[in-house]
Amino acid sequence: MIWLIQDFDLLSVLLRALALSLEAVTVGGVLVLLFVAPRQIAEAAARDAVCRFVARFSVALAIVQLLSAAESALVLVGGEGPGTPGLPLGDVASASFFRADCILAFAALALYFLLRWGRRHFWAVYLTGAAIVASSTALSHAASRIDDRLILLLLTAAHHLGGAAWIGGLASLLVAIRKSEDAHRIHAMAQRFSAMAIVSVSMLVLAGIGMAMFYVGSWSGMYGTSYGLMVLAKSYLLLLALSLGASNFWLVRETRSSAAALLPRLRRFSETEIGLGFTALLAAASLTSQPPAIDLSPQDMLAGHQIVQRMSWKWPQLKTPRLADLPRAAPLKEHLEDTSFSGGSPNDAMSQKWSEYNHQWSGLIVLAAGLLALVSRFKGQGWARNWPLLFVGLAVFILLRGDPDAWPLGPRPFWASFAETEVLEHRFFAALITCFALFEWAVETGRLKSERAALVFPLLCAIGGALLITHTHGTGDLRDELYAEFSHTPIALLGATAGWGRWLELRWPRSDGEPENRSTIVRAASWAWPVCLMLVGVILLDYRES
Amino acid sequence: MKKKFPGMLLVVMCLAAVSQLAFAHAVLVSSTPKANGSLHGPSIDVDLKFNSRVDGTRSNLSLVKPGGAIESLTLLKQDAPNELAAHAQLAPGKYTLRWTALATDGHITRGEVPFTVE
Repeated sequence: MIWLIQDFDLLSVLLRALALSLEAVTVGGVLVLLFVAPRQIAEAAARDAVCRFVARFSVALAIVQLLSAAESALVLVGGEGPGTPGLPLGDVASASFFRADCILAFAALALYFLLRWGRRHFWAVYLTGAAIVASSTALSHAASRIDDRLILLLLTAAHHLGGAAWIGGLASLLVAIRKSEDAHRIHAMAQRFSAMAIVSVSMLVLAGIGMAMFYVGSWSGMYGTSYGLMVLAKSYLLLLALSLGASNFWLVRETRSSAAALLPRLRRFSETEIGLGFTALLAAASLTSQPPAIDLSPQDMLAGHQIVQRMSWKWPQLKTPRLADLPRAAPLKEHLEDTSFSGGSPNDAMSQKWSEYNHQWSGLIVLAAGLLALVSRFKGQGWARNWPLLFVGLAVFILLRGDPDAWPLGPRPFWASFAETEVLEHRFFAALITCFALFEWAVETGRLKSERAALVFPLLCAIGGALLITHTHGTGDLRDELYAEFSHTPIALLGATAGWGRWLELRWPRSDGEPENRSTIVRAASWAWPVCLMLVGVILLDYRES
Repeated sequence: MKKKFPGMLLVVMCLAAVSQLAFAHAVLVSSTPKANGSLHGPSIDVDLKFNSRVDGTRSNLSLVKPGGAIESLTLLKQDAPNELAAHAQLAPGKYTLRWTALATDGHITRGEVPFTVE
């Protein structure tokens, strides 16, 4: 099992994050059927469409939750190697978390059947929605706290409900609007959703502040720990999403008189709002992996002056140590056994310089790409549209130099080294970047004219940003990990901003090929993404590990 | 389908854009023996205190002995919901205590505590 432990740890987190997202859409859809699109307001076709939409996500939630239960069971039954024998399956199945997993999966499956074939019993639909939220809360951090459990469980449930009603509900609202023809009914649903959104955002924010008081506890905990940094990242994404929500609020007030003209704009703002909301949900999932700031001792936190000293600008040296100067790589199995329990080992001075060189050259490439992307927006600078090809170079650079202990530079074989999550992450990033580079180059140079192809760039930017939010360097030291996060987290947020800004620019309604009536937000978004790329480059150029 | 595609793609790709995480849910707050500490044998009491509730029957403690052999320790009944305890008879030498904590919300975390028996 030791060969799979780290990848299984990663898998369990992937499944949890996926489950949170699916839960938001499922529960949000149930709330839309209850408050926004009841029978007396929505057309039958609209309600049918929402029921089918939510049913698909509820069955996906059931599957993911069962996979999560199976994955945990496999780890506990399989054991972790010599000295850590596995448990009998009966022992695992009687654990409280396993029961909560199964209840959640069963409730999601029941919701699927009710929405497809049992809509006469709508009270049961609402009950299963409540069961989903309750069992998801039982799987949250609050359930394992020693003190203040009840209030934390209530705050967590309120936070889940608020997020589901707003972001998950928005997705169902778009489905309902698309299937509606009566402008008055569309206006009524949009108004009701606005009211629900105000309540749910308030609930989300107040519950979030409450949880921050319990889990963070101080300003130094907010900026000096990984947990606090993630809370700040979520807050930034929340503010961006709220700005779009505010635009939608004003648009809704105008839909009574001109629904047909305004609906496309409403949809585009909503899509971007949903995207930012789900990125925030994924940042929320990353919070479950961090120990709450309030549980850390002062030596595990960073003080303000330490952060300033590390982050202040220093010109990059761009000098690499020789491969022979790096410490000799331990055999992979021994390395996996050690790091699975120790969390990793601190880098020595040569390894730090190697990593700094990698990050700084990556920064140079990204800065150049961002600059060319900005230049390409001016007339007569068509040559600059080849900027995405710089990212192919970046992908090759990551693949070759990212992991000096593994293929091609080190002794660890290519396939076996996937057992180490840092190697897996680097190779996945390299593949993601290559895919993005080729698609975007084809779109920028006119080789691919499809609207769908153009959307690959913003989606991969957003995915890359979400993935980077908690990329770890496996040093096993909380402060070293936190220093790395001070560069990775802003890069992730800039990536998400660039991705969703570009999405909004591409999806904005056009007439005769020109964007119609762009609001200030859309104009800002269209210039923001190349600037975000440049800022990512600058942050990487300043990257240091000592 | 063409009109639905970007919307569905948006939702699916959002859902696929999941975070990669270093799972560090239950944190060791204090331990006996202390990390890199030394104590007199042969009778050693092991006591680990965490920041959250841990499952006292499904968690695991094991000992890496001086020769490299690994032995699983029997968990004692919990005195508190956030503690794991065991007892061992150890000869002088360097040991590493490895712990796997199953928090009551289902998250598994691991760590190690090296120590010396004099």
